[in-house]
Amino acid sequence: MLELRKVSKHFSGIPAVDKVSFSARPGEVTGYLGPNGSGKSTTMKMITGLIGMTSGEILFQGAPIRENLIAYKRHMGYVPEEPYLYNHLSAAEYLTMVAQLRDLPVRQSIDCVDGLLRLLSLYDDRHASISGYSKGMRQKVLIAAALMHNPDLVLLDEPFSGLDVGSSLVLRSLIQELAARGKVVLFSSHELETVERISTRVVILHRGKVVADDSIERLRSMMELPTLEEIFSQLAVEQDTGTTAKQIADLIHA
Amino acid sequence: MHNLVRNLVDFLPQQFRVLYRQFLLRIIDLEALSIQADIPRFLGQISGVLIMFSMIHTLIAWAYLGDTEDSPPKLLSFAWHLEHHLIAMMMLVVGLIAVASWDSIFPDRRDTMILGPLPVKPSVVLAAKAAAAAAVIGLAIVTLNVAAGFAWPSVLAMRGRGPSEFLPTLASYWLTMIAASVFVYGSVLTVQGLTALLLPRRLFLLCSAFLQLAAFAVFFGVFFLQPTLTTPAEFANPSYGAFLSWAPSYWFFALFNRLRGALPENLNWLATRAWIGLAAAVAGSVFSLLLCYLRTMRKTIEQPDLLPAARGPRMNLRLGSSIEAAILAFSFRSVTRSRQHRVVFAFYMAIVLAVALSSARSFLAAAAQPLAPGFLVASFVMMSFAVLGLRSVFSLPISLTANWMLRISQLFPSWRYIAATRHALLCLTVLPVWITAALLSLHFRPWPQVAGHLIVLALLGSILADLSLIGFYKVPFTCSYLPGKVNIQFVFWGSLILFLTLGLTGARYELAALHNPVRFAWMVIALGSMAACLRAFNRYRARDAEIYFEEVPAEVITSLRLISLPSSEEAF
Repeated sequence: MLELRKVSKHFSGIPAVDKVSFSARPGEVTGYLGPNGSGKSTTMKMITGLIGMTSGEILFQGAPIRENLIAYKRHMGYVPEEPYLYNHLSAAEYLTMVAQLRDLPVRQSIDCVDGLLRLLSLYDDRHASISGYSKGMRQKVLIAAALMHNPDLVLLDEPFSGLDVGSSLVLRSLIQELAARGKVVLFSSHELETVERISTRVVILHRGKVVADDSIERLRSMMELPTLEEIFSQLAVEQDTGTTAKQIADLIHA
Repeated sequence: MHNLVRNLVDFLPQQFRVLYRQFLLRIIDLEALSIQADIPRFLGQISGVLIMFSMIHTLIAWAYLGDTEDSPPKLLSFAWHLEHHLIAMMMLVVGLIAVASWDSIFPDRRDTMILGPLPVKPSVVLAAKAAAAAAVIGLAIVTLNVAAGFAWPSVLAMRGRGPSEFLPTLASYWLTMIAASVFVYGSVLTVQGLTALLLPRRLFLLCSAFLQLAAFAVFFGVFFLQPTLTTPAEFANPSYGAFLSWAPSYWFFALFNRLRGALPENLNWLATRAWIGLAAAVAGSVFSLLLCYLRTMRKTIEQPDLLPAARGPRMNLRLGSSIEAAILAFSFRSVTRSRQHRVVFAFYMAIVLAVALSSARSFLAAAAQPLAPGFLVASFVMMSFAVLGLRSVFSLPISLTANWMLRISQLFPSWRYIAATRHALLCLTVLPVWITAALLSLHFRPWPQVAGHLIVLALLGSILADLSLIGFYKVPFTCSYLPGKVNIQFVFWGSLILFLTLGLTGARYELAALHNPVRFAWMVIALGSMAACLRAFNRYRARDAEIYFEEVPAEVITSLRLISLPSSEEAF
C-alpha cells in the first residue's frame, strides 16, 4: 500500500502541497484529480522521490520511502506528465538503456522491449529517432519504460495525453488489469469521464489540499450529484467558466 | 554618439532586430546552459584567447624589428613566415567558426515551424542570419588581429619606406584578413548549400554531419600539415607549383603582398587566384543561400515527420556490467549523434588526427627505424587531447529534461555510476588512441622497446582518465553546464604549457628508460603506482559522493558594510 501522511511541499515558503494525506491500496485504481496548479504533479514527483518533501511522510508497504529509496525505486514505475525523452535515441535504444539501468537480465529485457514495442504499435519505427515521434508515440515509449520491470507501484501522471482512441482504450484496460493483478495504481488525469470509469476511488486536490477522498459512488451519494464532473466542478473549479470564455472573446474583439 | 547608434539601430526593421538577436545567441545551444550561465563571460574568455594569440604575434613582430644582425634574405624569410602564419591562423579560426555554426545560417525545421506561420519574409530571416554570422566573424577578425593588425603594418613600414607606408600596409593587412575570412566562410556555405540543393533532404541531413567532420579535419589538417614556404626560391620551385595552386592561405599571403606592392612578379598568379577564389566563394554562397531560402524552406515543411529508419546494428557486444554498458552506449550515441557534442569533440579529435597523420607521414615513409622522441611526444599528445576532449564533452548536457529517467532508475550506489563513466572514457578514448599508437608503432624496432612504450602509454591513459574525472560525479551528458565557470584563458594556456613541458621532458626520459631495463622497470612501477593511487582515490571519494544533475554557481557573499556589527567583546 502507498500511504501519504501530512505531506507538504513549499516553494520559497509558498505551499504547493499542504498536508496531503491519502492512501492507495493494491488491487485498486486511485484517481488523483485537481485543476492546473493544484499540486498533483508535485505530489507525484514527491512520491517518485524526484523532489523532496518539506514535511510529512510517504510510506510504501509500510516503510518510509526515504529509508531505502533505491529499494523503493525497484518497485516503482512512473509515467511523467510531459513526454521528456532522449530524442537522439531510438525507442529500442531508449528502452534497452532503461532495462540496463534497471539491471534486468539481458534475455528478459530483449524479449520485453520487443514485445512492448509490438503491442504498443511502435515496432515498425523502433529504429527511428525519438525526435521524429508524435506525442502519442512518445507517450507509448514512456508507458513501456514504466512497466517493463513489472513494478508493484504504478504512478501515471496524465497517461492518456496524446494517445489516439484505440491506444487510450488499451491503456484504460491495462490500468484495470494491473490493478486486478494486485498492483497499486495511482493516476492523475483531466479526463474525468475516464477517471470515473476506471477508478475505484478518487482523491481531489484543490490549492494543495485534499478536498475529497472517497469512492466515486459515495461521493455521488454524499454530494447528491450525478457525475464526477459535477462533483469536481463544485469542489475544485472556482471561476465562472461561461463568463471567462465571454471575457476572452471580448478581449480579442471577436 | 550613443544616440546616433540608437537612431541607426531604430532605423532597422523591428523584425530584423528581433531575429538578429535570436540568431546571434543561437551560436551557443541554450539548452546546454543552466539558468545561471554567464554567456557574455564565456564569449569574453574565447575572445581573450584570440587576443592573447594576437599579442604573441605582436611580440614576434617586434622581435623582427629589433633584429639587425640577420641578412636581408633571412629577414624576408622570417617576415613571410609570420605573414603566412597570421593569414593561415585567421583562416583556421574562421573555418572553425563556420564548422561550429554549421547549419545555423540555413533554414532549419525549427525556423520553418516557428517563423513560418508568422508574417515574416524569408529575406528578413536570411538577412538576420547573415548579419549574426557577420557579427561573429567580425568579432573573430578584430580580436585575433587587435594587436598584430597594427603592430605588423607598423613594423613593415619602419623596415621599409617609412611612416608613409604605414596606412597602405594597414589597409592591405585588414583587407586581406577580411577577404581570407569571407573566402573560408563563403566556401563552407557554398559546399553546404550545393549539397542541400543537389541531394534529397534526407540524404543531405545524413551527409551534412559527415561534411561537418570532414571540414573540421580539412581545416586542422591543412593548418598543421601543409608545408611552410618562406623564400622566393621555394615559391619558384616547380615541385611546389601544384601545391600552391590548391593552397588558399598562400593565395591570400600573395594578395597581401600584392596590395602593399611587395610581391615578386612571378607570384602574381597566386594573388589572382585569391581574387578568383573570393569571387567564387561569395557568388557560390549568395547563390546557394538564395536558392535554399526559396526552395529548402518548402522542402523542410514537406518532409514527413517520421522518417523510416533502417534497422540499426544492435549492440549485442556488452562491455562491462549492465550499468557500464548503458552509460557506454549512451555516451557513444550522444557524442556521435548530437551536432553540438560532435563539433566540440571533433575539435579535439582533429588535433589527434592531425598528430596521427603527421606521425604517419614522418615515420611510415621510411623503413623500420628506432623509436624517435617525436613519436613518443605525438602519442602522448594524442592520448591527452582525446581524454581531455571527451571529458570536456561529457560536461555538456544533451537533454536536461529527460534526466528524470536516470534519477528514477538510480538503483545503484553512486560509485557504480562514476565507475561506469570512467569505463566509458577508457573505452571511447584511451582504447582507440592506444590501438592507433600501436598501429603507428609497427614500423619501429626493436619490439621490446615498442611494447615498453605501449605499456607506458596505457598507464598514462589510465592516469589521465582518473585525473580528468576527479570531482566529476555526474553521468555523462546529463548535467547542466555553466560555461563561465571555467577560466578558459587559464585552462588553455596552462594546458598548452603543461603538455609541451611534460611531453618533451617525459619523452626524453622515457626514451632513455627504454634503453635501460632497470630504469624502465622503475618508471613502470612509478606510473603504475600513480595510476593505482589515483583510481583508489577516486573510488574512495566516490563512495560518499552523490550524482548531481545541475551545476550550481559558487555562492558568493558580498558584505555591503552598511552596518557595523559589535565585536565579540562588546557583544558580551
